[in-house]
Amino acid sequence: MVKSDLGEYLCSKLDENRQAIQAEWVSQMEALDLLIELTPNEIEEQFNAVFDTATSCLRTGTFEAAISYAGNLAQKNIPLTLQQVISGFMIKRDIFGRFIKNLYEGDTEGWQNMLDYYEPIHRSVLSIVTVDLIKQQESKVRQQQDAILKLSTPLVELWENIVLLPLIGMLDSVRAKQLIEAVLTYIGQTKTEIIILDVAGIAAIDTKTAQHILLTIQAAKLMGTEIIITGIRPEVATTLVTLGINLTGIQTRGNLREGIKYSFGKLGFKLIENPKN
Amino acid sequence: MATESIIPILKLDNFLISSPQIAIHDRIAVQYKDALLQKIAETKSKGLILDISAIDVVDSFLVRVISDVASAANVMGCHTVLTGMSPAVAITLAEMDLQLKGVFTALDIGKSMKILQREEMRLRD
Amino acid sequence: MTDYEILVSTEMDIIAVREKVRDVAKGLGFSIMDLTRIATAVSELVRNAFQYAGGGTVTIKTIQNLHRKGLEVIVDDHGPGIPELDLALKGGHSTSGGMGLGLAGAKKLMDDFFIDTKQNVGTTIVIRKWL
Repeated sequence: MVKSDLGEYLCSKLDENRQAIQAEWVSQMEALDLLIELTPNEIEEQFNAVFDTATSCLRTGTFEAAISYAGNLAQKNIPLTLQQVISGFMIKRDIFGRFIKNLYEGDTEGWQNMLDYYEPIHRSVLSIVTVDLIKQQESKVRQQQDAILKLSTPLVELWENIVLLPLIGMLDSVRAKQLIEAVLTYIGQTKTEIIILDVAGIAAIDTKTAQHILLTIQAAKLMGTEIIITGIRPEVATTLVTLGINLTGIQTRGNLREGIKYSFGKLGFKLIENPKN
Repeated sequence: MATESIIPILKLDNFLISSPQIAIHDRIAVQYKDALLQKIAETKSKGLILDISAIDVVDSFLVRVISDVASAANVMGCHTVLTGMSPAVAITLAEMDLQLKGVFTALDIGKSMKILQREEMRLRD
Repeated sequence: MTDYEILVSTEMDIIAVREKVRDVAKGLGFSIMDLTRIATAVSELVRNAFQYAGGGTVTIKTIQNLHRKGLEVIVDDHGPGIPELDLALKGGHSTSGGMGLGLAGAKKLMDDFFIDTKQNVGTTIVIRKWL
């Protein structure tokens, strides 16, 4: 049989036996505890999605169905784990495989032909779905990280020309790069003379991130803003020394209070206590 | 006879201010430098404000021009303040690690004046 | 996408090339920061070509790889070549101090940087930035 005919033939046979295949699939998935927390409706939907994606690809030899599978999953917001999805496809593959074996009982050549057609297609389906799913998850994580970053790097105006930028949590080099642009744009808009970068909330730092921070300070200086650093933790200080990061020319203070004192001093202010009555 | 500068150099209080609106390519750069230094000498100005807010690309050549002006001005007792640098130019220069020595930087003209006035006070003490 | 080829022979051309590259990059959707990086890198390289080789050709291309689009600029001259390339790339104060700074600077600003230089034959530099 011609290639596309093989696909057509296989799928029509699979369709005829859909019920039985579904029962077998559900039973195997349940045996591995992969369908817990899913309603019967959701289980049916999941099976349909897996079955139809596979048959669609087998029928045509093209992979649009596989590509859109992950996207659909994300849109419908079905809370399936990676394991559930991949196992779902792998179990189906095994079931289809046995089905094909039975279909060609006694016809070794026919069986070989069909496997030659079926196997590469299914391999591709599996890898496309997996890669796509992972990309979706990564994109979700990135969105969450962006949200966290927005919350964790507010620029707080303490006084005219004194702004506080407290950094919290893990700062990787990707976020650090975004930080540079955000800080410099802010400076351009507000003309703030001093920014206090408080890193008391940062537990660890790597070379790239440290370099990005230094770059930010250098660029800010070129624009006319001084960035001082407060709250460097002992562990971070040690790392900086080990990495050979040079902080000459940069004002640092042990805590925020000292940083604020410095800032007021630089702007020409002095704090005087009101005489008590 | 003073070199006529294509780029205007104006007096602002005791200081000079110049705000190039055009790209400073090589031939203009020499004329501009000379004009600035001559004006400083003429007016015995203690400060020069260079406003580069209209310049969107600053390469190593321009950095050298600015540094040269600042160095020469310094010798004549005049401080130079660079103002109006855009965030994009600032990042680019920082990434190239180009040093801008002998030049103050300020966020706007008002702050530039403050710096120059402060420096003037310092000399008096 | 159309490529652009511009001859550089006067100093005015340096600025013209810079503007053209900026236009193309803007059309591709690069951020303001990247536009400045690209224009500055090109300015450095073209100025070098003009100063040390009397001029050259600049080719501006839109490029595409598996995942994304990008901008490629090739600066080609038939000048004396760059002596002590390693030193120049490190941005060291070589005898041709200015060129060293520009070359190293351009390299830091771009994603890809390839240089081929032969004494008395010329220099070709390829730089790329990806979206």
